[in-house]
Amino acid sequence: MSAHVRVPAAALLTRGCALALISALLVAGCGTSTGKIAGRSGGTVTVLEVNGGVDSLDPGFWYYQTDYTDLAQTTQRWLYGWRARSLTPVPDLATAMPALSDGGRTLTIHIRSGIHYSPPLAARTVSSADIKYAIERCFLASVGNGYAFDYYGEIEGAPHEPVSHLVNIPGIRAPNATTLVIHTSVPVGVLDDADALALPCTAPVPQSYAERFDRGAQSTYGEHQLFTGPYMIAGAGSGTVPHSSYAPGRLLALERNRSWRRESDPIRSAYFNAIIFRGGYSKTVASREVLEGTSLMSGDFTAPPPAILAEALSSRRSQLYITPAQATRYISLNTRVKPLDNVDVRRAIGAVIDRSALLRLIGGPTLGAIATHFLAPEMPGFNVAGGYRGPGYDFLSHPEGDLALAQHYMRLAGYRRGRYEGPPLSAVAADEAPQKNVAEAIQSQLAQIGINLELHEVPHTTMLTKYCTVPKAHIAICPNLSWGKDFFDSQSMIAPIFDGNLIQEQANTDTSLADNPAYNAQIEAAKEVIGERARAQAWGRLDRELTAEAYVIPWLWENQVSFASANVKGVPWAFNGGAWDLTASSLK
Amino acid sequence: MAGSAPRASFWRRFAARRSTLLGLAFILLLVAVAAAAPIVVSVVGAPGPDRPDYAALSSFGTPTGPSLAGGHIFGVDPLGRDVFSRVIYGARASLEVALLATALALLIGVLLGAAAGYFGGVLDTVISRLTDLFLAFPAFLLAIGLASACELGKGCVGGLVHPGTGAVVFVIVLVTWTYVARLVRGQVLALRELEFIEAARAIGCSHLRIIVRELLPNLAAPVAVYATYAIPQNILLEAALSYLGLGVQPPTPSWGQMLAEATPIFNSAWWYMAFPGAALLLTVLAFNLLGEGVQAALARPVAQRVRIA
Repeated sequence: MSAHVRVPAAALLTRGCALALISALLVAGCGTSTGKIAGRSGGTVTVLEVNGGVDSLDPGFWYYQTDYTDLAQTTQRWLYGWRARSLTPVPDLATAMPALSDGGRTLTIHIRSGIHYSPPLAARTVSSADIKYAIERCFLASVGNGYAFDYYGEIEGAPHEPVSHLVNIPGIRAPNATTLVIHTSVPVGVLDDADALALPCTAPVPQSYAERFDRGAQSTYGEHQLFTGPYMIAGAGSGTVPHSSYAPGRLLALERNRSWRRESDPIRSAYFNAIIFRGGYSKTVASREVLEGTSLMSGDFTAPPPAILAEALSSRRSQLYITPAQATRYISLNTRVKPLDNVDVRRAIGAVIDRSALLRLIGGPTLGAIATHFLAPEMPGFNVAGGYRGPGYDFLSHPEGDLALAQHYMRLAGYRRGRYEGPPLSAVAADEAPQKNVAEAIQSQLAQIGINLELHEVPHTTMLTKYCTVPKAHIAICPNLSWGKDFFDSQSMIAPIFDGNLIQEQANTDTSLADNPAYNAQIEAAKEVIGERARAQAWGRLDRELTAEAYVIPWLWENQVSFASANVKGVPWAFNGGAWDLTASSLK
Repeated sequence: MAGSAPRASFWRRFAARRSTLLGLAFILLLVAVAAAAPIVVSVVGAPGPDRPDYAALSSFGTPTGPSLAGGHIFGVDPLGRDVFSRVIYGARASLEVALLATALALLIGVLLGAAAGYFGGVLDTVISRLTDLFLAFPAFLLAIGLASACELGKGCVGGLVHPGTGAVVFVIVLVTWTYVARLVRGQVLALRELEFIEAARAIGCSHLRIIVRELLPNLAAPVAVYATYAIPQNILLEAALSYLGLGVQPPTPSWGQMLAEATPIFNSAWWYMAFPGAALLLTVLAFNLLGEGVQAALARPVAQRVRIA
């Protein structure tokens, strides 16, 4: 799940408000003439992590919020990137936005010259061929990328399934060292507006250096990678990431990349001298240490536990950074498991769930707003789908739940007594509060209509990697998943969750296994729509229709509550759902 | 009348210790309360253990503490469930697991220990080495290994064990039968050389009869003492396993599980740790007091032992 363990929040800003806020901050002198946020250089910051930290060191794999925060923004430059508060991509390695021709099917992009890699290839500069290879390797099974097929699948000659050997994609050309040409078979909205080119798959990888690491069942490029961003994994200049700098789930140490030049980077300021990520904490301990300590920042979790949050809101408000996460928390219903293959049963579940209670259990309105459809506020098409009031479906119209309506739907599904009478359904949830509390509440609420859950509580990572994203695990209900946007285009929220063409055996994001050919076709058509307004309409309409199918029951539009020690000036990264932009944050 | 004298003497010595009676009274009360949990809960006016009262949570979702007016005399947990109800129902899980696991461990341990001690030879060697092997196995590692080997819906050990009460009992029995077996083997090794066993053999009694009719009655005292100490240990083991998330599965309440949930929120919800913690403490204490009393009552008075010597 992409950014996708994002947290809930309180006062949701509309996109307009967010822009107004940014303007106000700029006027107040928070910004600089380059669009960067001012800060003080120097010092080391330590980020405390709870959920295992980064998933992989490989830029081709990075897809999750923590990957972006910890490594993608800090250690690599992409073709296009995201300033801390921007809602649209800006050129990073590119010199300008893509030049479109051929009805939007050909993109011509020029890249900067003189951008150097980190040691051991410090003499080598980035070329357009490196970006071509970077995108091509994202189709390798050994890399395990989660979005290439969705966003780059229409590039001419792109593979349609993970490949074991590198495929030269003729639709990506590098006619000279500073020009990249991408040709697609149909217009692709998210490429034309550069949204999908502002992802880590476009971080350059020189083929001559990397291909030996990309052979075999599992690429090891991550452990030997070259860096173009302001930081690199400490000691990796030898060509191998040392164990002293990276211990999965426990430690990740970044130092400055001497090859990086601040003046050539329009996005990153990189004030810290070093960034250390320490893992293995409980949320409670990490939260207390961050709030009461010095030079510490919250890591891979979305908010402090409710009791600490309540206390911090009254006594340490300035250390909290509450932002809309453009993420939706939802109950995923496996449509291949009976009785969840019946839309009326799914609607009954939607009706019986007390979303107000779930909001309270997860920490209250600071952490978000009750969801009435899938697209989160601030996302294009949100209002088309019904805005905060929602599309008006009865089974999502009662935030406190409506047992009578749920029983009515159960009767429509053929259960005369308004109750399911079959065996318990399997469910898997994360084993840490408040997620486990929410799962247990859902378990108790579903019991009202006879749906008993055999609830298995496991570590968050296990929930995702072993159960909820693995179709063959046949988990009926994943009560507590979250999906955040990949960028500010609603395709990145809708398609991964509902496009049946994207179902895969591992790391599957369509967790409900929704696979309706009619909707799949509509999704494919929406992908080709060009223009911000038209795309918002297309995806908003789809959201409205998909919500009616109740493949998932959205229950929270989340806020992210990032927090830092009093001596840290934290800067949330809008693109990444309000998690930190560590290249814009600084010590006070 | 001949048999009633030692029994009367046992009860006299047992009843002479006030702490033992106190322990016994608490255990009887606990068993009664656990058995009649639904009645007790409704008499007190508390909701059922799984019924959430979301209004009893603050707007941040934090639980509220004990309050007579609020209808939650022990407060609520982070899901708004009544802690009193869950402590009462939690006693069921603790007693169920502890009694069942102790009984099974005794059964296996007595059978294997008696067989090893009585028959000796290869059988003794095999059982003794098996006992050593299991004794060397760390209970928690075994439990954690089992839990991770368990697949949702399929259980673990080839479907033999499923997460929950069954798995906890399985783990406890697996690691505790050894103590019983070793104890019983030692006792039988000593008993089998005594004259009454010789006499039984001489008159042609079968091995089974000798074990059942002659040896087992003489093992009752040490086994009973062991059981009274094993029960509280098993209650603690169940709590520890549930604390680690390997025990009783939600929404079934268990004291260990409650303590695990209470740990990270102790600063803001002390009651959630205090009440299940106190219940666990008192129960273990009560069983220990009982065990001490049983041991003292079964022991021969020093003067008598001196006379015999």
